[in-house]
Amino acid sequence: MSRETYEAPNTGSGSRAPALGRGNAESALGGEGPATQYKCGDCNAQMKLKRGDPIRCLDCGHRVLYKERTKRMVQFEAR
Amino acid sequence: MSSKRKPTNTKWSHEFDTLRRENLFKNPPQDHSAYPLLVQAISPHIESFNEVFREGGLVTKAIRDIGTKYYLDGDERTGPAGKNVLSIRVKDVVVQKAMLPPSNKFTTKRHIFPAECRERHVTYRGRMEANLQYKVNNGDWHSFTRDLGQIPIMLMSNKCHLEKNSPDLLVQRHEEAEELGGFFVVNGIEKIIRLLIVNRRNFPMGILRPSFKGRGAAFTQYGILIRSVRPDETSQTNVIHYLEDGNCTFRFSWRKNEYLIPVMMILKALVDTNDRAIFEGLVGLPGSKATKNSFLTDRVELLLRSYKHYGLYTKRKTRAFLGKKFRIQLGVPDTMSNYDCGTEFLRKIVLVHLGNVDVTEAQDNDKFKMLLFMISKLYALVGGDCCGDNPDAVQNQEILLGGFLYGMILKERLEDWLGTNLRLVLRDYLRKTPGNNFATQEFAKQLPVRLMGRTNENIGQALEYFMSTGNLVSPTGLDLQQVSGFTVVAEKINFLRFISHFRMVHRGSFFAQLKTTTVRKLLPESWGFLCPVHTPDGSPCGLLNHLSHKCKIMTKSVNASAVPQLVVDLGVVTGSSDIDEAVIVTLDGKVLGWCTPKQSLLIADTLRYWKVEGSHNVPKELEICYVPRSQGGQYPGIYMSSSPSRMIRPVKYLALDKEDFVGPQEQPFMSIAVIEPEIVSGESTHVEFDPTNILSILANMTPFSDFNQSPRNMYQCQMGKQSMGTPGTATRYRSDNKTYRLQTGQTPIVRAPLHNDYGFDNFPNGMNAVVAVISYTGYDMDDAMIINKSAHERGFGHGTIYKTKKIDLSEGQRSRSITYMKKAFGFAPGDEAKGRQGGIDEDGLPFVGRLVQDGDILCCWHTVYVDASGALKNRDGVTHYEKYKDGETAFIEEVRLIGGENGSDPLSMISIKLRVPRSPVIGDKFSSRHGQKGVASQKWPMIDMPFSESGMQPDVIINPHAFPSRMTIGMFVESLAGKAGALHGLAQDSTPFRFDEENTAGDYFGHQLMKAGYNYYGNEPMYSGITGEELHADIYVGLVYYQRLRHMVNDKFQVRTTGPITKLTGQPIKGRKGGGGIRVGEMERDSLLAHGTAFLLQDRLLNCSDYQKSWICKSCGTFISTQPTVSAYANRRKGTGKVRCRQCARKIEGALGSGTGETWDDGHGQRWVGGEDTTIVAVPGVLKYLDVELAAMGIKLKYNVGTA
Ligand SMILES: [Zn+2]
Repeated sequence: MSRETYEAPNTGSGSRAPALGRGNAESALGGEGPATQYKCGDCNAQMKLKRGDPIRCLDCGHRVLYKERTKRMVQFEAR
Repeated sequence: MSSKRKPTNTKWSHEFDTLRRENLFKNPPQDHSAYPLLVQAISPHIESFNEVFREGGLVTKAIRDIGTKYYLDGDERTGPAGKNVLSIRVKDVVVQKAMLPPSNKFTTKRHIFPAECRERHVTYRGRMEANLQYKVNNGDWHSFTRDLGQIPIMLMSNKCHLEKNSPDLLVQRHEEAEELGGFFVVNGIEKIIRLLIVNRRNFPMGILRPSFKGRGAAFTQYGILIRSVRPDETSQTNVIHYLEDGNCTFRFSWRKNEYLIPVMMILKALVDTNDRAIFEGLVGLPGSKATKNSFLTDRVELLLRSYKHYGLYTKRKTRAFLGKKFRIQLGVPDTMSNYDCGTEFLRKIVLVHLGNVDVTEAQDNDKFKMLLFMISKLYALVGGDCCGDNPDAVQNQEILLGGFLYGMILKERLEDWLGTNLRLVLRDYLRKTPGNNFATQEFAKQLPVRLMGRTNENIGQALEYFMSTGNLVSPTGLDLQQVSGFTVVAEKINFLRFISHFRMVHRGSFFAQLKTTTVRKLLPESWGFLCPVHTPDGSPCGLLNHLSHKCKIMTKSVNASAVPQLVVDLGVVTGSSDIDEAVIVTLDGKVLGWCTPKQSLLIADTLRYWKVEGSHNVPKELEICYVPRSQGGQYPGIYMSSSPSRMIRPVKYLALDKEDFVGPQEQPFMSIAVIEPEIVSGESTHVEFDPTNILSILANMTPFSDFNQSPRNMYQCQMGKQSMGTPGTATRYRSDNKTYRLQTGQTPIVRAPLHNDYGFDNFPNGMNAVVAVISYTGYDMDDAMIINKSAHERGFGHGTIYKTKKIDLSEGQRSRSITYMKKAFGFAPGDEAKGRQGGIDEDGLPFVGRLVQDGDILCCWHTVYVDASGALKNRDGVTHYEKYKDGETAFIEEVRLIGGENGSDPLSMISIKLRVPRSPVIGDKFSSRHGQKGVASQKWPMIDMPFSESGMQPDVIINPHAFPSRMTIGMFVESLAGKAGALHGLAQDSTPFRFDEENTAGDYFGHQLMKAGYNYYGNEPMYSGITGEELHADIYVGLVYYQRLRHMVNDKFQVRTTGPITKLTGQPIKGRKGGGGIRVGEMERDSLLAHGTAFLLQDRLLNCSDYQKSWICKSCGTFISTQPTVSAYANRRKGTGKVRCRQCARKIEGALGSGTGETWDDGHGQRWVGGEDTTIVAVPGVLKYLDVELAAMGIKLKYNVGTA
């Protein structure tokens, strides 16, 4: 990899990131719009999240969620 | 279950063990892995990393080597008098495991496991802290702690959550049951630090290198090079050069600069000595044989004489002189005396392996003795008494382990931080606030927080940069020959490829550019250490090797502290070399003493006996290299090493019938029989446990490889790594950019027992196929193969590609938190209805399980801002769509919503895993395990395939012409063995070197076939599937394990008639991705010409390329002077349709010209007459470009236009 293509990670300088002036994250983030069903990547719990909601499992706090398989009919041409 | 389980069985044979494996899958072991050999294969990586951070490990040793840094306050220009001294040192460095930041208050599970890092495309890292201590003048030490950022952590190391996890626990943590570790997860990608070959440590190598002559006047090609390694694994190379006049110069490199010092100066600085002692140390006592060697005595005399003009006689004076010269380079404080500075010079640069911290007088004496030995060896080399050592032979090499390199970088960063970085900050501070000297309260308050905060202390980021790019940013260069290419991605295309990364040894990218091929040669010294088969062909051939599967790399030094006393007891004289023809005895580059040549053999043999026996505290891993006296051979002596980074391998010691470990340095001087019958009584001391020990893991997987022509085995080692296989079982929790998966993998019928030992049945890599060797259809010419259509329909070779697409809306932003959010997934208000039609859900993400085709929408987003209530509001009512742009249909396999580690960030990144089904199509590549690759050319209907008397039909037909020139007899044997195995239900052992001329493989498997009622030779009468008639010849049919290679036509085909072009030339663009063309080059042109297909040639080179119609002036014969005319009455769009030559035309001055012909307007208000002799010609676009370029240089082209 060349020096130019390298990109310093921007996610987690952790505590180094500027502390944001929001006391209670939950109340400030009343998500809006339609809620969609997701599944936790760790404990498999199901939850409904709206736009703007923090991405984490409401049960275990895991940070990767999966979208559930669609319940709509999925039909393909048999070949 | 309370009853105590039996420990998991780790013994494997070549059998199928189907039930046992099934049980292992259903119930992953709760104690340890069932495949200890796999764990062993990667252990050098993990163990070397563990060495860095363990108690008393490399970091601790590095901190001792860094020592204390001193700073003075006050004006820089004035002397040190009256200034305060600030002393600062690192006490220790602590690394934590990967944890959530304290800002995340939403969970009690604080661990971050590697699987999460892969899924979230982040780095698996842990926080590093340094405990620092400082004092001012002679006050007390004060401690404080600084955060050094987060450093990448090797999986399964002692800083990883997965260390010592049982397979059962690993599965719970979303890892492979047989997860090996040894790599890092950097931005979600698995990266590994390559093993590098470096010079053998602490051994003075005699080098003959013509390029030495270019180093300066009087330099010769002779030199002695020693790569001296400190306990913290950093190294310093010292070289002694021989000059034309017989003098010797000591060369070293410090912070990328080279320095030369007369070697006498170093000798005199090390110990209090005199010329006589040096003379006797090099030549021997008066009256000894060597004193009559006038070559030697002349040169030593000159060495001593020529040093006289420096006028430095005592150790004190010499050190002070050295100190004065090198104070700037060493960066020592002004308060240090010249003498101490000289001491510091010797500590840091001269033979550092013999003492680098608090060097004692005894250690200086060791360095002195070693230097004398090096000079003696140099004179012997020049005099032709010994030969040079080959730096390209494994004998004089060792391995730079990933963990050690990591530790070296860490050390350098720490030293740079405390040395260079802090110096700048302090200087800046003192300049701005001269009042606050080091003794003030204010300074004490500011140093630990404010001032340290201004330094660049994010060492974690530096290490992450290194892991991510493989580039080394270093002020010293770390005594290495390259600055990039240290890390590679551990691709998991299949398991063979993955495991090979860990056994891979690279010679260094410096050697890749070398024009000579000497470094690439396979040398006999490599026997048993580097695999002779497993190296790629092409540019990295011979530079990128793989370790033999039994070869281990030491990661710790073994305890050899008893050895010095033992050799003394055995008759070694520790004083000076006052014995005639003395032979040197060294341990880890330290001179233990001398003995007679006769004694030396006895000592070596005795020590070896003891080490295998395990008595007298001689460790088994000690390497005892006994070099006998010879006529111009290697310099004699006993060179013992107990250090890490050495390669060792097990062989059987005949005297005790026990396992012994031998190293590459001693091996050339030992007699090791390959097989028992080769043992020569009285000469052989060892015998190999198995001749296959010389092969790498992969080379061992080639069945009956001893029957094949050797390059075919090399090809198989490459193709095994390219086959579509099973990357693992935890693929759900991975997010590789692209992975391949074979849906219908099988265990090979023919395999070596090592197949099971390494657990390769967990990762099937191909299919057993019934293969007929017959020229049947004409579609099997030239390495093409025919696949039975029904076999294809049964799933033969069916595979899948998984692609992961990461969509990050906060790319380039500092934070993912809601306050910084500019884009959000979902629809802008009012666009929701469009989603249903576009096939995406209300949240703007695709439906999982959906089929996507070229141009379909994958997801959508819109721009947002945060309103006063903290909610996201759309900015402009525009919905942006991300589209699927591949030509192939795919299915949405997974949609992953990725949160931040704070647990409070809204959705700004998703990753979509796409599944592309890839059933074999014509043009896909397959290969057997014998370097016999071929392309599927037809799916032949089953009814038309030939059939045997029992009604069997081949799955695959290959052409007999694939064999005569390639001589892959192993494939024939595999076919036989596979057939017999399938008929009897046996797994066949295919270990090479098991058959011989008396007991042939053909006979063994032939009899098995006979037992099953088949032809002894494997041939069968077959009937044509088309006519039903018996074929005139019996056909060779059997079972061969076939691999499907990842090179598939669907990724490669390239077709175009028209399409995008390069603007400049009008020719098609390059590359498959953009829909470009394939170049028809000179050779292709020649071929078309030779065939007389001129129209085809014109089609390729003109019509499908830069065909262009262009105006040209017939009378002046040029393109560039033609121009369209303008008229006020003409059609706006079409223009006048008239093109005139400006050069041939005449400008009309005044109102009206002479009136000969039609006038025209050039659009600039100028009127012209004439230049009407223009016409349209078809030319290649580049011709016009060429014309313009030449015109720019003042060269005119004239075309004579005729009529066709
Ligand atoms: Zn959960």
